[in-house]
Amino acid sequence: MKSTVSPHTLGARSRRLDWRMFILPLVLLSAWEWASHQDAAHTYAFTPLETVGTTLWELLRGADLWINLGASLKRTLWGFAIGVLLGISCGTVMATSRYAERAIAPLYHMLRQIPLIGLIPLLSLWFGNGECAKILVVMLASFYPVVLNTYEGFSGIDSRHIEVANVLELNRTWRLFQVLLPAALPSIITGVLQALPFAWISAVGSELFFNAGSGLGALMLNAQAGARMDVLVIAVLAVTVLGSAMNTICVRFARRLTRWERS
Amino acid sequence: MIEFTVTDIAPMHPSPILTHAATAYQAPLPGPGKFTRWTGIVWHKLSTHAAYLISPLCVLALWTWLTHAHLFPPQIAVAPLAVWHDFGARLSSGELPANLAISLERLIFGFAAGALPGIVFGIALARSARVEAYCGFTFAALRQMPTLVMIPIFVLILGVDESLKIVIVAKASFFPIALAAREAVRAIPRSQLEVAQLLGLRGYMLYRQVIVPAIVSGVVTGMRVALGRSWLVLVSAELLAADSGIGEMMELARESLQIDTVMVCLFVTGTTGFLLDRLLRVIELTLLRRRLA
Repeated sequence: MKSTVSPHTLGARSRRLDWRMFILPLVLLSAWEWASHQDAAHTYAFTPLETVGTTLWELLRGADLWINLGASLKRTLWGFAIGVLLGISCGTVMATSRYAERAIAPLYHMLRQIPLIGLIPLLSLWFGNGECAKILVVMLASFYPVVLNTYEGFSGIDSRHIEVANVLELNRTWRLFQVLLPAALPSIITGVLQALPFAWISAVGSELFFNAGSGLGALMLNAQAGARMDVLVIAVLAVTVLGSAMNTICVRFARRLTRWERS
Repeated sequence: MIEFTVTDIAPMHPSPILTHAATAYQAPLPGPGKFTRWTGIVWHKLSTHAAYLISPLCVLALWTWLTHAHLFPPQIAVAPLAVWHDFGARLSSGELPANLAISLERLIFGFAAGALPGIVFGIALARSARVEAYCGFTFAALRQMPTLVMIPIFVLILGVDESLKIVIVAKASFFPIALAAREAVRAIPRSQLEVAQLLGLRGYMLYRQVIVPAIVSGVVTGMRVALGRSWLVLVSAELLAADSGIGEMMELARESLQIDTVMVCLFVTGTTGFLLDRLLRVIELTLLRRRLA
């Protein structure tokens, strides 16, 4: 009998490598390779894979890629660190003080509607094309999700925790650090988790749109100007691989940190 | 003997503020006092909502003061009133509506081109083991690629004309929607599918009666995410490479140092994004309510 039950219900999915998953990538790559060997116009857009290979080797051996990668990573980390710290404090203040909530929430929700990359023309007029403006973009990118999740973390606290705090007559500081923060932690961590890949992409994006200075985005912009598809492909792959690596590490880390939550 | 604890009365309290656990321990709002009950409630509501206006008004006042105090050169600090006048001028000259319409048209076409295949592909991934085996890995890998960063690649392949924007928006909306559709189909309880099988539902009727109703609200949620990202990516693409559209208008204003126009464009972009999200949110809630009813 032909089963109509969807595959996921058939027990745990096997971790075994399935040869079928390689077919589509191979087809796509051969199509790319085929397109690159058509005529000059195609070679312009679809660089032959062997060229991509040699460029990759050159970039890996040279300093260009590493310097730009380092610059982007540094920018990401600074913006992320500032954004997360500000985000957690802002979310905590909003959740614990009604006056702060009334004051901050409307501004936060208004600013949040503005597309980050759209802010770049304004920021470049105000702050120029320097480091400060780019870090500001990364900071905002990590700030928004952290505030939201911190606030929601506090809102979702089991009222029994608060009753215990009331019974123990904890003062505000103790209540915050002993009861509220630990209870809100899983949600805060979720926010931080969401923020890191977001910060990374907006770091590269901001470099792309400020068109000045160093970084992977600047490398890509130069590559675009020189029609170097090989460099572009490698840069996008680097951004993707690092982004998913950050994501994976964050997820693992968050699981470890919130082990007590599940047990 | 009446005996209740705080937990017993907390959910019964009508004020949404007190169900907000973190603020639950705070002193209650100043009561109606000498007012009667109804005027007290009205006053309470009014003051709660008006309170949210205070800080934006403060910011507006500060902004006006800063521009009038001439602390910054006028190219950098433009008075709110000047931005408002510029908004009126661009609106009546037809420049703003025309550019916004072009951007929205791109968004709609690109979104349709990404959303429909996305839904079909997402369902196929969840329903067919073969599709999952062949395409699952590629889907997961391509999904990781950030559209924003891929804009230069698309520019090299497609040039800077109309197809670039459509493809970028389609790419940005395809993946979140396909993912949402896949997860929504996977979330259908096994028992429901078994009952459908038992009833002999298959093919069109199975989708019509079981699968589509079950996934529709999940898919709309995915669409909300996708539409937000698409709008961001579209405006970015217009900033980088376009001859029309709201993003290009902003970029042009930046190059000629017209900060008031940049702000007008930002305001319009933000509001449009917000309204689009609201629209889908209303659809989402309506569908959810209909399903629960």
